[in-house]
Amino acid sequence: MGEYIIKRTLQMTVVFFLFLVFSYLLFNAIPGNAFSNLLLNPDLPPDAYNRVLELYGLDKPLFERLQLYIVNFFKGDFGYSYKSFPKTPIELISERLPRTLMLFAIVNIVSFYTGFFIGKILAWRRGSQSETWITLTSVFSYTVFYPWFALMMLWVFGYKLGWLPIGKFLYPEKWYDAPFDSDIVFSSMIKFTIVVSLIQFAAYLATRGIESLSSRRNLRFASLIAIFIGSYFYWNNGAALIKKPYAADIAYHMILPVMVVTIVAFAGTALLTRTTMMEVLKEDYILTARAKGISQKRIRDRHAARTALLPVVTSFIFTIVTIIDGSVLTEQIFSWPGMGQLLLQSVLEEDIPVAMACFSFVGVFALVAHLLADISYSYLDPRIRIKSQG
Amino acid sequence: MSKEVLSVKNLNMHYETLSGDVHAVKDVSFSVKEGESFGLVGESGCGKTSVAMSLLQLQADNAKISSGSIVLDGVELVGMNESELRKVRWDGISIVFQGAMNAWNPVVKVGEQIREAIREHYPEKSKAENTEKIESLFKMVGLDAAVIDRFPHELSGGMKQRAVIALALSCDPKVVIADEPTTALDVVIQDQILNEIKKVQELLGLSLIYISHDIAVIAEMTDQMAVMYAGSIVEIGPTDKVFSTPKHAYTRLLLESTPSVVGEKKKLRSLDGEPPSLINEITGCSFSPRCPDPSDDCKNQNKEMKLVEIEPGHFADNCCVDCG
Ligand SMILES: Nc1ncnc2c1ncn2[C@@H]1O[C@H](COP(=O)(O)OP(=O)(O)OP(=O)(O)O)[C@@H](O)[C@H]1O
Ligand SMILES: [Mg+2]
Repeated sequence: MGEYIIKRTLQMTVVFFLFLVFSYLLFNAIPGNAFSNLLLNPDLPPDAYNRVLELYGLDKPLFERLQLYIVNFFKGDFGYSYKSFPKTPIELISERLPRTLMLFAIVNIVSFYTGFFIGKILAWRRGSQSETWITLTSVFSYTVFYPWFALMMLWVFGYKLGWLPIGKFLYPEKWYDAPFDSDIVFSSMIKFTIVVSLIQFAAYLATRGIESLSSRRNLRFASLIAIFIGSYFYWNNGAALIKKPYAADIAYHMILPVMVVTIVAFAGTALLTRTTMMEVLKEDYILTARAKGISQKRIRDRHAARTALLPVVTSFIFTIVTIIDGSVLTEQIFSWPGMGQLLLQSVLEEDIPVAMACFSFVGVFALVAHLLADISYSYLDPRIRIKSQG
Repeated sequence: MSKEVLSVKNLNMHYETLSGDVHAVKDVSFSVKEGESFGLVGESGCGKTSVAMSLLQLQADNAKISSGSIVLDGVELVGMNESELRKVRWDGISIVFQGAMNAWNPVVKVGEQIREAIREHYPEKSKAENTEKIESLFKMVGLDAAVIDRFPHELSGGMKQRAVIALALSCDPKVVIADEPTTALDVVIQDQILNEIKKVQELLGLSLIYISHDIAVIAEMTDQMAVMYAGSIVEIGPTDKVFSTPKHAYTRLLLESTPSVVGEKKKLRSLDGEPPSLINEITGCSFSPRCPDPSDDCKNQNKEMKLVEIEPGHFADNCCVDCG
């Protein structure tokens, strides 16, 4: 396994290098850039002009610039933003990225679980009335024109009903005299989410080996309750207590985008799960499981859904890869100041160092996600063995 | 005489299909005693698997048991609800399916799949006890204990089949059904598996229902047997009696079309024609269209199909007993 990962990482580095070269050449092919616009400014004194040229190395020939860019890139130096000098692309990204990841991690987890759950039920109840209706609804939400749908939801929940905020990720007036930055609150929310998921995962692993099904279930349930109580104490004590109203504000702003994207995103998972699981249900081992006297619910979850999981996870990982580029539309509609907006802005404003950094980030993200996908397959399906020679 | 474990009386089952009802099991009655092995033989499509599935009440969604009774150890199975049936399955009757190669869930370890069955019926057993049980079963069917931690795709066909037998025995069922357990295996392995089943059956004193289209295998494996044709039992009795004095024309044809089961070498006879479609209700003798030398009664469909006792314990259908 270790050998496999090293090998894949090397391969990925080569792919990434090519990716970088092509992106650079593509950006270079755009006529003009924010920087040359700046140079057109007749009020700029000549020595300033030269200093700027030197600072950004723009007077060098293309090949030399490319070389320099790549060397600097692997040193971790992405240059400076043209638009928001002296901020670096890294600074801009590290401010925006958590907001996007938080939003879309939640969307993906929620839509994966609802999609998988609904697909499972649909396959199980095939032929029933409810199955027909839910399948039709899923097909609708799978095919609906997303921007239109998002705007409709905004109009209904934000404007007509007025239940949810229309955009942004916080109410600025509430944060006017906040003792800290929104990013600090945000990062503690992320940390909290990660810790909770890890604890739950650990509880799941720890109870795996218990032979009696009922005590396994009870222990898992108890751990869930413990997590709830723990969270309650965490948010009502110490430093977290002060952050609580602000965290709540952010969470409140997340409801609508999470809801809208989930409604659109769950359907793909649900329909795919339904199809694969209907195939699995025809398999002989489902009959064996029934003959063994296993409960219907356990056959559904443990035998049918478990085996149907692989293609669903594959397609899910491909959706994760598109989180950042897919977020462009969503963040634009909900005025969510994340990576998607940064990417769009930097391209429109021809802020090339930032745009390049954003794209490289997307590239790295995609490559790593694929590696993780391949590794997770071997756990999901023992028939797939990762060979280091492969 | 040992007592009856399983008794099936006048069982009727049909599949509802778009082109009409398929009467796959017609008025089938038989019983299995403790420690006895019972064979069910007949050509493909005659309804053997349908009988087996009805015993477990695992028939397909479009199947309906219209009448009859299945009594296991004094308990009626027909009409039981799902949760009562779940208790009977595997603990009361277990089955080795036809094509048991695909009986294993590919993503769960073999040991875990056996454990799951035991856990369902004996939740109080500890993990160590279950492991011990599985290991002893594996030993009995000639498998290595390490197979517990293997995934199904890591086993050969023969090993999978042995493991399926271990699985079928895991809850000490009262009756085990083996539905053509050796199809899809090569001849050598087939033979080994048959010996294994026979050995286990004698060792544990199992009540076994052995289903096959191969009458030679039935001869080797069973004490009592029934011959099925087009959904009905046409001859039933002690295996040696059926073999030495076959009464029904179909049984005789089956025996003659099988090489060297009994007696001296004869020219093999082949069975012409197709079994009748089970969609239409057949009145009169179902075998008469294929009967090589039908009696008048058989040809003219004079008699209803009905088993008559020829000698103690040996029955045959009365419309074809006199045919040549
Ligand atoms: N789900 C079903 N729906 C409709 N007809 C069915 C169904 N299952 C079986 N049949 C029909 O019922 C009849 C008996 O089938 P069954 O599987 O019991 O035969 P079998 O004796 O086990 O044959 P084989 O030796 O090939 O396994 C066949 O004509 C078959 O086509
Ligand atoms: Mg069959």
